Amino acid sequence: MKFLISLAFKNLTRYKRRTLITAGAIAVGLMMYIFIDSMLMGAEIESVRNLKWFETASARILNDEYWENRFQKPMDLNISSPDKIIKTLDDNGITATKRMVFSGDLILNAEDFGEDGNLAATVTAIDPTRDFDVFNFGTTLVDGRFLEPGEDAVLLGSWFAEDIGAEVGYWITVVTRGNGGFYEAMDLEIVGILNCPNPNVNRQLLMMPISTADEYLAMEGAVTEINVSLPENADVNMEVERIQGMLNGDNLTVMSWEAMAVDYLALAEAKRGGTSMILFLIFIIAAVGISNTMLMAIFERIKELGMMRSLGMSNTKIRLAFMFEAAGIGVIGSVMGVVLGIFADMFIVNIGIDYGFLLRDMDIGYRLQAIFRGVWNPGTMVKAFFMGIIISIVVAYLPTKRALKMDIPSCLRHQ
Amino acid sequence: MNTKLIKTALRNISRNKRRSILSGSAIAVAAMSIVALFSLIEGMTDDMAFNLKTYYTGEVRVKHADYDTYERYNPMHLTVDWNSVDKALAKEDMVKSYVPRISFPSNLYIGGSNFGAMGVGADFEKEAGYQDLAGSLKAGRIPENGKNEMMMGAILARDLKLEIGDRVTVMSTTAARGTNAITLEIVGLFAFPVGALNSKYFWVPLDRAQYFLRMDGGVQEVLIKVNDEVTSIAAAPLLKAAVENSAGVEMDIRPWQELSTTYGMLKMAQMIYNFIAMFFFLLGSTVIINTTMMVIFERMREIGTLGALGMHGKELIRLFFLEGTFISMIGSAVGVAIGIGLTLWLSKTGIDYTDAMSGMDFEMSAIVFPKLSVGKTVFVYFYSVIIASAATFIPSRHAAKIEPVEALRYV
Amino acid sequence: MKNKIVMIMILLSLLIPVSVIALTGEEIIRKADDMQVFETSEATGEMRIKDRFGVKVSTFISWSRGSDESLIEFTSKAERGQKVLRTEDELYLFYPDAEELIRMQGSMLRQSMLGSDVSYEDMTGGKDRISQYDVVLEGEESVKGNDCYVLMMTAKVRTVPYPKEKVWIDKETFLVWKAEYYTKSGRLLKEMEALEVQEFEDRLIAVETRISDKMKTDTETIMVISDLRINVPIDDDKFSLEELSW
Repeated sequence: MKFLISLAFKNLTRYKRRTLITAGAIAVGLMMYIFIDSMLMGAEIESVRNLKWFETASARILNDEYWENRFQKPMDLNISSPDKIIKTLDDNGITATKRMVFSGDLILNAEDFGEDGNLAATVTAIDPTRDFDVFNFGTTLVDGRFLEPGEDAVLLGSWFAEDIGAEVGYWITVVTRGNGGFYEAMDLEIVGILNCPNPNVNRQLLMMPISTADEYLAMEGAVTEINVSLPENADVNMEVERIQGMLNGDNLTVMSWEAMAVDYLALAEAKRGGTSMILFLIFIIAAVGISNTMLMAIFERIKELGMMRSLGMSNTKIRLAFMFEAAGIGVIGSVMGVVLGIFADMFIVNIGIDYGFLLRDMDIGYRLQAIFRGVWNPGTMVKAFFMGIIISIVVAYLPTKRALKMDIPSCLRHQ
Repeated sequence: MNTKLIKTALRNISRNKRRSILSGSAIAVAAMSIVALFSLIEGMTDDMAFNLKTYYTGEVRVKHADYDTYERYNPMHLTVDWNSVDKALAKEDMVKSYVPRISFPSNLYIGGSNFGAMGVGADFEKEAGYQDLAGSLKAGRIPENGKNEMMMGAILARDLKLEIGDRVTVMSTTAARGTNAITLEIVGLFAFPVGALNSKYFWVPLDRAQYFLRMDGGVQEVLIKVNDEVTSIAAAPLLKAAVENSAGVEMDIRPWQELSTTYGMLKMAQMIYNFIAMFFFLLGSTVIINTTMMVIFERMREIGTLGALGMHGKELIRLFFLEGTFISMIGSAVGVAIGIGLTLWLSKTGIDYTDAMSGMDFEMSAIVFPKLSVGKTVFVYFYSVIIASAATFIPSRHAAKIEPVEALRYV
Repeated sequence: MKNKIVMIMILLSLLIPVSVIALTGEEIIRKADDMQVFETSEATGEMRIKDRFGVKVSTFISWSRGSDESLIEFTSKAERGQKVLRTEDELYLFYPDAEELIRMQGSMLRQSMLGSDVSYEDMTGGKDRISQYDVVLEGEESVKGNDCYVLMMTAKVRTVPYPKEKVWIDKETFLVWKAEYYTKSGRLLKEMEALEVQEFEDRLIAVETRISDKMKTDTETIMVISDLRINVPIDDDKFSLEELSW
């Protein structure tokens, strides 16, 4: 056995070019597979991410009766002591932030906007110190600055801003009803514009500091929702139950993002059918590439095989020798492939492809801030690694068997 | 390029069938996959375009000239005179079908509370010639023109806990800028392929919408589909002239490409898919290059022999180049042919991924029909031929430099 | 009971020099409110609603009883048959094509009626303002040649829509010539102005009133009452739901 292994090893090093080309074929094939798989998974996850990062968070705590009345955005169905709850969550290692969502009328003045106007809007009041720990707006600022607690300021989604012709420095007025029903008008300055990859949000986002809203609207600390962030691989339903347990009564419900997702249509648009097809095709190409090269490598050495037979080596030993070599090439190729795949993933996951930049000149009406990111998929890498080795061995097996069946002179004559 | 070289090349190919088939098949598979991928992409973008045109904008859309400017104020009173538009379009050969529509934001008064929803008034008899409404019906039936009936998006009905047979009161702002309310019976539930439509919309007969919204003979928009021989961009100005002539007023008549941002989304999706296709190309190319390289190196001894017989340098390269070209021509042709066959077959049956949409409690029709693009297919063919042939250069140049003696010793 | 108080006040004012007696803010408001209340009334009227798209006119017939009950039936073409019923606690809408009455409550009341500057909430506006507002008599001003008391009303509770109201009430006739509605911080929300007045028995009634929502661009609603008849006999069940569905 040791002899066979060292024979295989020697062959590998002696015919570097052959080894490298074959291993190269395996490496490239696997790298592509890992890379495309990462991108496709990324695309699938994109809509989920858009949802969790910008709209629903991983889970949300609401007043028991809020959800069925959510269309009305009722401020009176609120959570009265959110800070206590957030502290409890903090102590249990869960990050959460409070928000108040209410509807109002947005009044535009002629001075800044060219002409007077008013439109219905939904205002999201956030805690500027914590919101970015739960939601992902931290990287979306394209103009101006973020909110400071307690100031009379707003942030707008970029498509919203473009729609109404708003710029940083303009003032708007939000007219709404406070706690109890009294009219209130808030003059707010636009201090920043956010451009996030979620078009729904971009179209409607109007954000203000929660302490400002609390004061104007006499909320006395009450909020309409507490948003919770959970790690990406967490078992959401389990965590939801756990959090529900921490709330002990209090007329509060915890909802997972999936339960809330029915309202958010980004998810419904995810077209998954194409991805499995694409991965399948990639797999075919990669497999064929590996097979071809391996086959050729084997066929090239039938003469050598014949020589080994004529020297008296048993069929089994020859088979093993070739299998070891094939496995060796497979291992080298797979290792190279996975390493290259990791580099490719590092690029696509961390840097991503800024397709907003690529599309910026296209007139779709809006600027896109969109970086397409892939996903780490260790499962795929492991799968690819073993596939590389297995295919190599399997593909090497068949011609070897055939050669062993031929008579030795034919082997020796083979070209 | 003399014929002897060509003959030699062909002979080499036929003599070493195993080798030729191996390298040829690699090329074939790469070509086939790329053809299939492009068709898949065409199918998917077609699907998106179809949804846009059927449910939102048509291929050419007719609207009141000022509607878009005042859109955010819900200007129900900015209508289009249906009769004159109908008259003008009926005469146009380039028009395949057209339907009037009225979209009205409304409140559904249920159990003492108001729930926002979008209503669409449509002429159900005309719609039958414009789209396959019956195919999207999940339960019940399509409302009849003239009756106080509606069909509701399946998700909306579920959210509001309504069923077929329930009567709902709809309140809305009218074209007279007042308000009105009407009670309609739910006779059907639909599931369009676009999620948003199923969770926010309900459809009512056009004449009832006109009555309820005090629109007289007006409609909010007319969606037009044009015949295949003409593009919507070319048709739009012609139709604009014809309709404005008949109606006597200026209108907003534009092709769908100029209309919504959703078209931009479609273009973006296309770009992403093509990006993925590029990777396919790369992968396919590396397979081809790799295979061809292997072929050359495998034939080192042969090169030595040829060298010893007097064939060197340029001639050698040319020979290998010819061999590579012929193999790739055949391989590509086979691959493209299989790709075409696969696409044509799938384009009839479609790729049904309804099951893959887990997490939805009901199915939207989710079938993608790959579509063959002749231009792209031809492109793929020539591309693989060129790549494969070009791939022979480097290794054969390398091979040509080797001394015959060395090559002969090569095992 | 109200009449008694008025009698007493008149007697007292006769006995005591006018300069010594000053009406308190609350009293002025009370008198102004009383001016607008009849035992029963019937009137024909129209609403002229102006917005960025133009002017729209809706005509109606209205009946009222006391301060709490009123019924409006629209007679203009676009709204023909639509009715609005207000009782002590509730507001209902009747639409001829709807098979049920629509009860407006909670946030639904905040909607504007017929797209005008008047909301349903404004219509249900409790006449019980004294208990909900602090009233301060700020001074006197002349409006359209009429001497008026100027009063500032500040909400005591959070449940009234307008945290601050400034009213100009005629010193002689206690007609409200003008009213301005503000937010807590003094932002002008709505404005009401009496454009034309008419004498009816012993009081002055505004027959043309303009209401303008200052938060919307360039809009106003003008309510015109023609043919007002007071204390006419009205059926007991006129202000009932059954009558509404008819």
